[in-house]
This record gives sequence, C-alpha cells and structure tokens, in this order.
Amino acid sequence: MKAKNWLYAERMAFSPSKRVCVIGLGNVLMGDDGFGPLAVERFRCEYQCGPNVEVLDLGTPGLDLAPYLFGMDLVVIADAVNADEKPGTLSIYCEADLVTHRAQLRLSDHDPGLQESLAHLRLSGATPSELIIVGAVPESCDFGKGISPSVLRASSVAVESIAGLLIERGIRCSRRHAALRPNLWWLSEDGSEFVLPRSKSQNQAQTNNVGGALGQAVLAGRVEG
Amino acid sequence: MARISIDPVTRIEGHLRIDVEVGGGSVQKAWASCTMWRGIENILKGRDPREGWVFAQRFCGVCTTVHAMASVRAVEDALQLEIPANAQYIRNLILIGHALHDHIVHFYHLSALDWVDITTIPKADPAKAASIADGVSTWTGNSHRELAAVQQKVNGLIGSGQLGIFSHGYWGHPAMRLSPEMNLILFAHYLQALEFQRKACQVVGILGGKTPHIQNLAVGGVMNAINLNSLATMNMDRLGTLQSLFQEMIPFVQQAYFADACLLAASYPEWFRYGRGVANYLAVPDLPVDAKATKFDLPGGVIMNGNLGSVRPIQDWHDQPIRAAVAEDVTRAWYMGEGPQPPWKGKTDPYYTDFREEGKYTWVKAPRYDDQPMQVGPLANILVGYASGHPLTRKWTDTAFSQISSVNGTKLTPDAMQSTMGRYLARAIRSAMLSDLALQHWQSLTNNILKGDDTTYNPPQFPQHEVVGVGMHEAPRGTLSHWVVIDKGAFSNYQAVVPTTWNASPRDQKGIPGPYESSLLANPVADPVKPLEVLRTVHSFDPCMACACHTLDTSGREITRVKVL
Repeated sequence: MKAKNWLYAERMAFSPSKRVCVIGLGNVLMGDDGFGPLAVERFRCEYQCGPNVEVLDLGTPGLDLAPYLFGMDLVVIADAVNADEKPGTLSIYCEADLVTHRAQLRLSDHDPGLQESLAHLRLSGATPSELIIVGAVPESCDFGKGISPSVLRASSVAVESIAGLLIERGIRCSRRHAALRPNLWWLSEDGSEFVLPRSKSQNQAQTNNVGGALGQAVLAGRVEG
Repeated sequence: MARISIDPVTRIEGHLRIDVEVGGGSVQKAWASCTMWRGIENILKGRDPREGWVFAQRFCGVCTTVHAMASVRAVEDALQLEIPANAQYIRNLILIGHALHDHIVHFYHLSALDWVDITTIPKADPAKAASIADGVSTWTGNSHRELAAVQQKVNGLIGSGQLGIFSHGYWGHPAMRLSPEMNLILFAHYLQALEFQRKACQVVGILGGKTPHIQNLAVGGVMNAINLNSLATMNMDRLGTLQSLFQEMIPFVQQAYFADACLLAASYPEWFRYGRGVANYLAVPDLPVDAKATKFDLPGGVIMNGNLGSVRPIQDWHDQPIRAAVAEDVTRAWYMGEGPQPPWKGKTDPYYTDFREEGKYTWVKAPRYDDQPMQVGPLANILVGYASGHPLTRKWTDTAFSQISSVNGTKLTPDAMQSTMGRYLARAIRSAMLSDLALQHWQSLTNNILKGDDTTYNPPQFPQHEVVGVGMHEAPRGTLSHWVVIDKGAFSNYQAVVPTTWNASPRDQKGIPGPYESSLLANPVADPVKPLEVLRTVHSFDPCMACACHTLDTSGREITRVKVL
C-alpha cells in the first residue's frame, strides 16, 4: 500500500516491531577488552531507542551468548578485535566476515563462543537476520589497566556508528537532549588499578578529546550504584 | 610411548592444556596446565566490601552469578550478618536458575559431541528413533515429525560443508558407538536445549534485574523490593511468571536431559570403569531454607578414599574443620612461595618458569583439604548426599540406576559413579533434584510474602578491627569459596578458591597429582592423533578456566591443537 503523505511514510519507515539487540562484549577488568561494554554503556546514555531495542553489556558469555541472539532481527555487537591495524582503529564487520575469517577477528577469548553460538542458532533456524560487529583494535588488554586513550576515542566513534547503523535500518534511535551519566563503575580516577588514562596531565588532555559529559563522568570516578 | 599435548581443551572460556604420555593404548602419565595467569583477586584489596561482589562477578563471563553470591556470603560471614528469609529464597531461585542453565549447556552444547556423531544422523530412521525415545521418556519433543525435521537440518548442514564449526570433528572415531537413531535423539534435544537455556536466563534476569551480571545483590540480602500492590516490584504477577518459567523448564530437565544422560550411560557402560581419579570428595551445603541458614536442601560433606561409609557431613557454613583444612600449595605452580597457605594468608605473586614437567607447570594453585587433593562438582554433591541418606538425592540417583538398568540390564551402584560417566550422570541427577527444589523454594518465597513479610535486607555494620570470613557456594562446577579479610571497612585480603582450581590442581609439594591428572591414568586412547577419550574424561569435569586462571591470548585463531610429540 502506498503512503498517502510523507508523515505516514516516515512513520512506516520505523520498525517498532523489529527486535534489536545492541551488545557489548569483553571483560571490563582487562584493559581495552572493556571496549564493548564501554561503547554500549555510552550509547545507552547518549541515545534513546524504542522498547524493541535492548542494550546489554554481556561481558564474556561464551556459548551463553546464544540466548541473546535468538530470533533477533538485528544484532550489533561492540567488541575488541584483533586486526592488522593501529590500536584504536574502528571497523565494522558483517556476519560473512566472521564466517569466512576474512577479517581475522579475535573477539578476545570468547571468540569460539560467538562462532558456536551462531552455529547453534543457524541449526535451530533462529539466527539473527542481521549481525554487525563494531570492532576496535585494542592497545593493551592487560589486567586492570583501564581503557587506553586511542580506544576511548574509538568508543566515541562507535557510539555514533551504532546509532547510524540503527537509523539506516529504520530503527528509532535519537540523541538524548541531555546525556545520562554513564555507569562506568570499573573505571576510577586515581590510586587504584583502574586509572583511565595514564597520568593526571593526560587525564586532562583526554577529557578534551572525548569532550563533554562522558569525559567528566569517566574522570569523576566510579559512579555509585 | 607417545606424548600428546592438547591445547586448549576447553571449548569456551579460558585455556587448559593437557599433556599425556600414552603407551599400550592408554594414558600412563598426565599433566594439567592452565596457560594463563590469574591475579584478579588483587584488584579487590582496599575496596569497600559492599561492592566486592560487583567486581567478583566479572572473574568469569560464564559463572558470574556464583562469584557474586560467594562474595556477599563471605562478607556476611565476616560480619556475622544474618539475611532475611526472602533474601535466602530469592538468592536460591537465582542459583537454581543459573545451575540448570549451566548443566543443560554443559551436557548438550559443551560435551555431547564427544559422544554423539552427527555424521551418522542421515542414516537414522526417525520413526524408530521416536519409538526408542518414547520407550524411556514421556518428553513431548520426541515425535517422529520433530525428529525427521532435525534430520533434514543435519542433512542440509552436512551438504553445506559447515560441520567443521562443530568443534574437534572427531567424527567416525571408533569410540563413537551410538546408533544413528540415538545420535538423532540426542542431537534433537541439543537443539531444543537452546530454547530452555533461554528460559533459565529469564529466571535469573527477572530476579537479578539483569543477566549476566545480576544487579540485585547486597551485603545483607537482596535489593528486590517486595510489594504485592505495586507494578514495579516483586508482586504476584512476577511470581507467576517465575513459576511458569520453571514449570516449562522442568519437563525438559527431568524428561529430556535426565533421560538422555541415562541413555548415554547405558550405551557407554565401559565409561563407568574409567576416570575415577582422586576419590576424595568435597561438597558444601547450599540452598538454605531458613534466614539463619541452619538447614539446607543440598547437603554438604567430605568423603575420603572413595569410602562412602566414611562421609563426614558438613552441617552448615560455620563448619570449623573446613575452615581449618583448606590450604593452597604453589610448589608446582607459577607463583612465589611453596608450602600450603590458608586462603586468608594466601598470596598471588607470579613466578613464571615455562612448562617444567618436574617443576612448575601451571597457573593453577593446588588446593588441599587436610593436605589431600579433593574432587568437587556434581559427583561430590551426589555422593555426599547419597552416603548421608539425603532423600531427594537417593530418589533421583535410584531412578537413574533403574532407568539405565531397564535399557542395558546392568545394576549400577553409587561406587560405580566414581568415574567419567558417573560425573555426567551426577550432573543430570543434580539437575533433576534442582528442578524439584525450584518449585519448593518458589513456594517458600510466595508463602513468606503472603504472610506479610516484605523484608529483603539487613544493613551491614563494619567494625574497626580486623575480621575474616568465608563465603561458600556449591556452584555448578562444585565447591566455591571466597575468603576475605576485612580491616577498617576495606578488604585487606581476598582469595577465591574456585571449583576448577580443585579439579585442575597440579601436583603438590609431595608430588600428589590433582583430579584431572589422576583421572586420566589408564584412560584408553585408541588413536593418539585423535585423543577423543582424553577429552571425554576432561570434559566430564566441565572445565572452565576463566576464573581458575587469567586470560590473555594473542593469537586466538587456533581453537584446538593436538600435538603428538
């Protein structure tokens, strides 16, 4: 049926019935492996989506990833990847890249979990209709190191990429008038092991790079529950 | 003598390397090595004990819940803080949901393909398969039509050449002996299990607010608000959803999973003769049924030397012997120090030397109980319960024995359970028990709320002096304990003694090997290039190394490497 006017057309273009999941993968205690959780938490705070969109930090679920992908129309996964690129490089992969290994992904150590989760779902006919990976090349996945400046910058780009991917597919996703304060409990300002950039002076520079609310919130330390 | 190195063994989460020397068709010597460092506890030092659990549940990506639970219990133990009855029940329901999920995934997705050869499925007769399945179970997912549809899927999969994704690919191995029909039945349930895995996640999600990484815990109870008149809190509607989720899951667990484990055991009876290993067993009581945690629905205890008559029950978490008996030895592990240290005094200072057969060879410490290695896990759970006459354990163990006997005519005894197949069967027995208990604990929670009790939290008070505590939990992989020292309201030491550390333990200062290592002795190996039988025994423990060690893999492309040296 043809739309009678553009307003109607626009409304139809959005797909409130599409089931969408935006997933962050990675261990927040392992330096840049926390890229995925960081990116989706920032996305949740900066963008507002309809109730058909779930935004989840799933950590490193291994095969337990399968239930979250089950029968979805669109899944966007943010994760650290191992590609021959500079640390902080952000790339977008589709499912075919994963299957053929063209992109040589290293999805930290839960890689077999993603592959096998997809294989299971394929058999049971419940694979996501579309799977996209927003991957950043880590600088360091050392234990307790926090997020490197390059990967922190990549996470800003990732937030916009995720929003763009959703909007392109007609999924309602709009920037919040005022960003929510991200709950980045695993990062803290100083003293402890979770220092997010390396020194005080770099901290300031980093704030400027990231800009705005997130940088301040990140540097303000752990956010109380 | 052939030397085989399998690296890594686990199909998800973390890296375990197994080295075996094979001679005359069986394993003569074995070493279990964890190839990654762990030092996660160090980040908890100096932190506020009220938030320790939030960090602890990131130790592992798969068993997040169990570490959160052990952490709050450890702090509550140090403070001698009682939690409300509602909090116990809510925690128990989360633990049951998590454990059922974990056991289902282990049986079907992580280990079934060590026994089930998918490549024979095209040869199966779906009608015959349906009648075999109907003979042992009332499960509704065994219809001729359902099984024929699964066979079609498998045909398509084999045609497309995508079978390689399914792991090691030991298809056609002589140790794979199930009929095409049996392979079809088990693989059909393998696919159905995905659906039930989701339901278990939903249970944890509803109560925990989120899964993985539940949000509802607190030192002193849980943060679930209870108000039957509010839409936003725990109310009759949510309780009803929980009940129906459990009611949907239970038939799958008791009629499909349990029946399949019995069928598998009946089809591979020789695996009750292999894999006994360390015959000392440890299980801690869990699922407390009262606020003070004086009574439990899962019994704990200690069995030494495989002698079930010698069981020493552990009545509750205040048990003094266990607190005094546990120590960790690092003589053969890549840490500084040597002899056994009690966890409260434990240190985690790395000292890497490379793999040295006669020296240090792993990142896993060697936990000991009164200087003895212990096996933990569902088998320990079941043996301790059976030996101490626990009615629910006896009910389901005896049911399993009679189901197996009805298929192959053999009479099993609890003693035969001390084996590779016994560990698989024990996990299914435990799941059947947990299914019964799920509804009981749901009923206890509901009754307590209807009585008018809506308390879920008792606020903690931190003394200025030093206190110590241990939090115990009988997790899916076995006894988990977090040992904490709290000084002036902050952790001054934190050690987690996790199930896989007990089972993957290396040799100790006396040279006594751990459960993986000793269970592999005399394990058959038909073809050293395809050591499927070694994987069966190792997988029977459900290894999960992520919390037993620490991960950093830079290549990651190799999923399994078998080297014959």
